[in-house]
Amino acid sequence: MRKIIAFLFVLPFFGLAQNNSGEIHGDFDLSLQTYNEDESIGALAADEVILNNAYFNLLYTKGKFTVGVRYESYLNALKDFDPRYNGNGIPYRFAQYNNDGLEITAGSFYEQFGSGLILRSYEEKTLGIDNAMDGIRLRYSPISGVYLKTFIGRERKFFEYSKGIVRGADGEVNINDILKLTTKTKAILGGSVVSRFQNATNPNFNIPENVSAFAGRMNIISGGLNWYSEYACKINDPIGSLTENNYANGSAITSNLTYSQKGIGISLEAHRVDNMVFRADRDAVGKDLLLNYIPSISKQHAYTLVSLYPYATQPNGEAGFQIDLFYKLEKGNWIGGKYGTKLDVNFSRINALNGGPSYLSDDINHEPMLVSLKGEALYYQDFNVEITRKINRKVKIVVVLAKQSYNKDVVQQQTGYGIIESDIAVLDLTYKIKKGHSIRVELQELKTEQDDGDWSMGLAEYTISPHWFFAIQDLYNWGNKNPDKQLHYFNADVGYIKGANRFTIGYGKKREGIFCVGGVCKTVPSSNGLTLSISSSF
Amino acid sequence: MRKQILTFLVVLLTTTFSFSQNARELPNIEVKTLKGDAFNISELNNDGSPIVISFWATWCKPCKKELNNISEVYEDWQEGTGVKLVAISIDDTRSMSKVAPYINSSDWEYEVYLDPNKDLCRLLGVSTVPHTFLLNGKKEIVWQHRGYVEGDEDELYNKIVELVK
Amino acid sequence: MKNLLNLLLIVAFFGACDIVEEPFATNGGTPVDTSSPTTFIKKILVEDYSGHTCSNCPNAARELDALIDIYGEKIVPITIHVGKTYARPFHISQAPKYQYDFRTETGKSWDNLFQITNLGLPKGMINRIGVPNSTHGAEVTNWNSIVQSVASDEPDFGITISSYINGNAGSVDVNIKVLNDIQGDFNLVLCLTEDSIINWQKDVEAFPNVDVEFYIHKHVFRTSINSAWGEALQASSIYNPDEEIDKSYIINLDNLEQYNIDYSLNTLELGNGNAGGWNKNNMYVVAFIYDNTTFEIEQVEEAHLITP
Repeated sequence: MRKIIAFLFVLPFFGLAQNNSGEIHGDFDLSLQTYNEDESIGALAADEVILNNAYFNLLYTKGKFTVGVRYESYLNALKDFDPRYNGNGIPYRFAQYNNDGLEITAGSFYEQFGSGLILRSYEEKTLGIDNAMDGIRLRYSPISGVYLKTFIGRERKFFEYSKGIVRGADGEVNINDILKLTTKTKAILGGSVVSRFQNATNPNFNIPENVSAFAGRMNIISGGLNWYSEYACKINDPIGSLTENNYANGSAITSNLTYSQKGIGISLEAHRVDNMVFRADRDAVGKDLLLNYIPSISKQHAYTLVSLYPYATQPNGEAGFQIDLFYKLEKGNWIGGKYGTKLDVNFSRINALNGGPSYLSDDINHEPMLVSLKGEALYYQDFNVEITRKINRKVKIVVVLAKQSYNKDVVQQQTGYGIIESDIAVLDLTYKIKKGHSIRVELQELKTEQDDGDWSMGLAEYTISPHWFFAIQDLYNWGNKNPDKQLHYFNADVGYIKGANRFTIGYGKKREGIFCVGGVCKTVPSSNGLTLSISSSF
Repeated sequence: MRKQILTFLVVLLTTTFSFSQNARELPNIEVKTLKGDAFNISELNNDGSPIVISFWATWCKPCKKELNNISEVYEDWQEGTGVKLVAISIDDTRSMSKVAPYINSSDWEYEVYLDPNKDLCRLLGVSTVPHTFLLNGKKEIVWQHRGYVEGDEDELYNKIVELVK
Repeated sequence: MKNLLNLLLIVAFFGACDIVEEPFATNGGTPVDTSSPTTFIKKILVEDYSGHTCSNCPNAARELDALIDIYGEKIVPITIHVGKTYARPFHISQAPKYQYDFRTETGKSWDNLFQITNLGLPKGMINRIGVPNSTHGAEVTNWNSIVQSVASDEPDFGITISSYINGNAGSVDVNIKVLNDIQGDFNLVLCLTEDSIINWQKDVEAFPNVDVEFYIHKHVFRTSINSAWGEALQASSIYNPDEEIDKSYIINLDNLEQYNIDYSLNTLELGNGNAGGWNKNNMYVVAFIYDNTTFEIEQVEEAHLITP
């Protein structure tokens, strides 16, 4: 295997003899942090004093041929990353060839079938998620409007690979293209199958060695309307315990309907998930070796206090919906103001399945109700309004108001906290001092009677285009019922950006919390120290 | 492990010194349009005028700021230089369906595409957003910039103007 | 048409699916035959890293019980409570819940080296195989296959334990018999565990109320008599068959108990000193020999501290 890779790397040199039209590109990222002991916030020092993550991506393309390599280094990994990211090496390397519509990839690759409900192999570096597949993948479009993909491989787990072998196939058909229709309405249909093979030698149970999941999707587009639906199901996937196994099937259904025209956009989304965790290794737990991706049906917030209690999808069972309204109030009148005002309204609500999820039920034929919103345990609710308005040539403001309910027991797998109700307000003001110089001020407030109580946050950011930014911020837990815990989390950052190079240095305290992207979360321990980050693309 | 590192270093050293860097072209990969069709990014066309490609996401504040600020002067830019701005959203399934409604309510006149699993991002070295590229009339990438602060659009416009001189 | 057929075949291949019909359980499996031509059998140390507020950890304990059902005396189990997150006692205001401190200094030393808590509890180690790469911390559902892979190994050492306790003090003698030609550096660790401690435990299976007041904590690790890393078996690294090594230790249960209580009062550990109340009649001596370079355990033996 190694010889083949070495050969693939040598191949480009033969091309050099003929014409040197190959290209090398890449990107680089280094994050370094020092950890000091800070008893007040519960921050622990690091024995190594400095912890750092780094990676270096290198891509070579020549005509239809591409080769890529990534070197990753964790010596040792930052505290908010999984400590199994340890050491350094090349966990990602691939060779790809594109020939008359047939694309062949050998080595590491990322892939998504449909919306990811059945398969999504992706990377999210800030979360430490990288479940690239390692194997062979083929993508082919035999005629215009038909797209086929198949692959076989093992999934990445830190610097190793899963025990299970995963294979999958996906087909998508654009009905209008193949039938040569020119109607206003378009339809796209798709179907996927993914299966895992893993040896089982369980003396107490009959564990299936091949476990499959199937999915079907459709997308109908007509003018400003867009309707997407996907259904996925997984056939018996017991974990292989000696004492207790769940043979129930799993299923998930997601649907979204959006309408947009000039000045207004509406989005309605709903999903219902039941026992749909699918992994490349039946023994894995937590975030290890996940094969599919079920995003949380709540808004991804950008402001700190609005995302203090972020929701994570409960793949074992939940039902939820979300409504978004994007509206532009026309300029000219007192509501819209001189330049127009943008209004974004969002509401989402997720609760438990009626009767509980399949995996907890002793009855294998238990099927939780398809839709049941009233009276079920609330997991999360979020109602928020974001108003963006340019006041005059120098001033722009953004105001966010939110009301959230967060079931800490369920989302963080704890007991005794209950549902945390919070009200949040944010004011974000940008003032242009002169050409190229501007200052941005953020004031945020969170009020709650539970958990840690009220929080305030203040941020001031001074930017000098095109190279510099300076920021200071403070997060203050003034409402904590325990006077010893009424802490300040103060931070200062300086950054220099030139073209595709970015350098930032920061110093301060970080709050212990949860950081989520897309509904997948990681816990971040509290820390006190210096942060240095360097990134570049070439 | 050592062999892998050695191979990597050999590739790095020899290829860096062996090849003359030609201007970078757009890779041959497909992104999605807002109507669900596949679109090969190398087929982007602006009839010999410059193209700006900006990677953004609906949850990225500076990205939205950049694209909003440029939309205020976009007409002037187009008249002066013929430039076209292509906005590529990296929103994944969680927020991908909201891209079209968001754009329409923002009155953006850009060409918009979707790259939900970051396939195009990986080929262009985009790891964070916003990340903006400038292509000349021959569709070669001649300049790129990470991040956005108020006023960066002026630097971008200066670079565009240099191309059409 | 031919393409369509090929396509269907490919889809069928990818969609390979085993559908298991009821009953799912097999006939419980036959217990593994642990008889052996020699007097000594290779025993396997299964360490279960746990905590009383870790609601998933009783699943690991039940899995360990199932392993003992299958492999019988081949398995020597210990449960080690570690970490501030899942094992520290609750504040006095929460009494009577979770007031006990099961943690030990040795347990912490092991956890620091093997980094088990950082992997997330529950986790276990089977004969400490796989150190120092990350595979040594094993997921619960993986324990069975790891035990299977070493179950038929022949032992290199044979351990016999004898203890003489009078009141709360006495001695423990360990006799090690070398069974094969072996080369290497090996250490002996001598531990005490206590079975059937009744106290609080969070258990996800007790849903909806996960607090179990009278949980039976089995084979809980209490202390190591000769420090976390033990002592060398002998100076030389050459072992000859039939060679015998004798080690003898004087122990005082009151002192050992007090040591744990003092350790729990150490402020950095956020303990409360509530680590006493040992019941010597439920205690076992666990002796294991490990390879100094790989940490892999070569042989382990278990015996009652006080003969019932």
